[in-house]
Amino acid sequence: MRFTAAGFTRAVSLLAVVATVGLLPWLSGRDPALTVLRARSAEQEPTQEALDAVRRDLGLDAGPLSLLGSWAAGLVRGDLGTSWVSGTDVLPSVTAGLQVSLALMGAALGVAVLLAVVLVAPVLVRGRASAGAGAAMLAAVPEFLLATVGLLVCGVWLGWLPTSGWQGPASMVLPAVALGVPAGGLLGRLVADALPAVLEERWVELWRGAGVSRARISAAALRRVLPPLVPQFGMAAVGLTGGAVAVETVFAVPGIGRTALGAAKSQDLPLLQGSVLALLLLGLVAGALAALVRRRLLGPALRDASLALPPPRPVRTHPAIPLTLAAVLLTTIGWGLLRDPYAVNTAARLASPSWAHPLGTDGLGRDVLARLGHGAAATVGTAAAVCLFSLILSLALGFLPGVAAGAADIANALPPVIVGILVAAAAGPGTGGAALAVGAISWPPLSAHAAALVQEVRASAFLTAQRAIGAPPSWILTRHVLPSVAAPVARHALLRLPGIALALASLGFLGLGAQPPAPEWGLLLDESRAYVERAPWAALAPAIALALLAGLAVSGAAYAQGRRGTVSATARKETPVGVV
Amino acid sequence: MTHLLDVRDLVVHYGTVTAVDGVSLTLEPGETLALDGPSGCGKSTTALAVLQLRRPDAGEVRFEGVELTSLTERELRPLRPRMQPVFQDPYGSLNPRHRIRDAVAEPLKVQGRWTEADGPTRVAELLDRVGLAPSYGARRPHELSGGQCQRAGIARALASDPRLLVLDEPVSALDPSVRAGVLNLLADLQDDLGLGYLFICHDRAVVRHFADRVVEMRDGRLVT
Repeated sequence: MRFTAAGFTRAVSLLAVVATVGLLPWLSGRDPALTVLRARSAEQEPTQEALDAVRRDLGLDAGPLSLLGSWAAGLVRGDLGTSWVSGTDVLPSVTAGLQVSLALMGAALGVAVLLAVVLVAPVLVRGRASAGAGAAMLAAVPEFLLATVGLLVCGVWLGWLPTSGWQGPASMVLPAVALGVPAGGLLGRLVADALPAVLEERWVELWRGAGVSRARISAAALRRVLPPLVPQFGMAAVGLTGGAVAVETVFAVPGIGRTALGAAKSQDLPLLQGSVLALLLLGLVAGALAALVRRRLLGPALRDASLALPPPRPVRTHPAIPLTLAAVLLTTIGWGLLRDPYAVNTAARLASPSWAHPLGTDGLGRDVLARLGHGAAATVGTAAAVCLFSLILSLALGFLPGVAAGAADIANALPPVIVGILVAAAAGPGTGGAALAVGAISWPPLSAHAAALVQEVRASAFLTAQRAIGAPPSWILTRHVLPSVAAPVARHALLRLPGIALALASLGFLGLGAQPPAPEWGLLLDESRAYVERAPWAALAPAIALALLAGLAVSGAAYAQGRRGTVSATARKETPVGVV
Repeated sequence: MTHLLDVRDLVVHYGTVTAVDGVSLTLEPGETLALDGPSGCGKSTTALAVLQLRRPDAGEVRFEGVELTSLTERELRPLRPRMQPVFQDPYGSLNPRHRIRDAVAEPLKVQGRWTEADGPTRVAELLDRVGLAPSYGARRPHELSGGQCQRAGIARALASDPRLLVLDEPVSALDPSVRAGVLNLLADLQDDLGLGYLFICHDRAVVRHFADRVVEMRDGRLVT
């Protein structure tokens, strides 16, 4: 491989991620010796001698660099260390979890491909314009929401399928569907949206005129569409590793994702290191496989971007759809904000909806509407801060496209949930940590957009004219380049707000974000799971709010895309909204 | 006697391609030198290299007796206003977000010659000089025709009080009916202000009508 700035930053970013994993025991700041002591024997007093003994035992007194060194050396030998909590080797737990997760992901992939075929078929058979809003909606619904709703409807109300554990094929159905549907919606939408423009290319006309059968043209069009989309498929596979954490947790599947989350919560750092590393490896292998498949499909002569797709014809969304969704959400939030989210009324626990409590009450008798309204401030407010951070970062990185591209590749390979687990393990769970985790990986699409715009402005004649009149670089930057770049990128950042809010909610749902009793949407959904049979409204309210948010993310983006007319080259790097 | 512009053995590489390969030319005040040649022969690159907007890889560019290629960007900045470009694409050469009057006022502001009292009057004079009514000052480029945009671009170039204009195909993007107007404007300005024109063009009829001297370029070299 040639030495490039992008390649360099890619390697540096990857090393930084691995080093962060390796340094977790040191980064976490809290005294791991205490954790270990508690886990091993709850009765023993945490005396200085006992703690020192544990520290020597773990090698924690040696400092960060030797810690990293011994961890890396162990890694090379295939030794992932010993669990602090159970005292057993980490490697067997990781491989056992990995086997379960791979089976689950395989089944999910089957569901995804099946769904994608269903979405693509109408375009090929009946020549429809695109897969439409339904597919976009499916792609935007986060796995944890789908899993909870699936558990509620099919498992609890209808009692068709087992809702927890990992015994036999029946228990695989719900998790695989919850994990596979968003991925399938994404794959189907990408292919179905690209097909109509491809079917209007000149060669199709020629083939038809020559009497080539419809089936063969369809097959050729698919073959034409797939290679440029393969990197996006790789990213969907990365999304599966993040989604697996949520889905395995909801359905109590003993996979690698649930192992990682459990280890983060119990501060069992060696087990966490092992399982996060396995998840990262899965993501990277998926990315590498995607690159390989693309090469294979394209053949040796064609390289990057030499087979670009024609810009998809945008499906224009009527502005009424996002406006209605926003109005419903804002009214609910506004109403809820007028009420008290913390007032505990044990006499009215799990009350059904009434005038006093329009959306009912939760397990402590708190008003669900009030908690939903105040939760919006926590969820959407934090998302706005993350958006602003990504905007500023991407404007800065827009001027260094080479440097940004390498780091973006790594950031794209990290699902927010896994970064959230790492941040929570190092700094403890909290809103700030969740925001940091989502912010650290939400900038690549924005910075790619900014880089494209900077390049466009720099190439324009009016900028050359500025240099010719003797304008200093600072003048050109502040009067011409930034104004041209900042406004479109800011609009783009605003459109990603709902998607970022969903990512934050998924971290809250997993207990990695806001902590009780804070009313955060993901957390609300998680808390309501405990009594979902007696008070389904407590779960439905945040679920519907999150679904509305997902709808807003999709329809807002579609509306903006319709207005922009064509999708620029930046779309290649865009992460689909809501893939967690 | 020093020439207004004296270019010797100018060389510009793009990667492994040599776009300009040893071009030499001179230009006097009030004179129009046409640079003619097929597309891709290095005409526009020569224009950018003369203006030091693309620093040449070898050769000398003397402007009013000052050798420019050895100067740093900072040393060059006070000299830049004396030589101004006019580009082919009338719309692309103006920032689409800025009003015409702001575009024309910008050189005055950048070069520290703007005062709240005299600035607007100077802008109105410049617009009038290129045949644009004052009301056009409040418009943005997309609200003007191609010819009007090109006039605004010329007004911006004049705002710097230049001695040399490098005209890179200034009329080839315009309708034939509009071309004559812009060419007449350029001829009038030259008569009044004594400007030297380095005129890049591949329309033989325009070249013959407009230029005092013609040099032809092919594959980066002058053809004699």
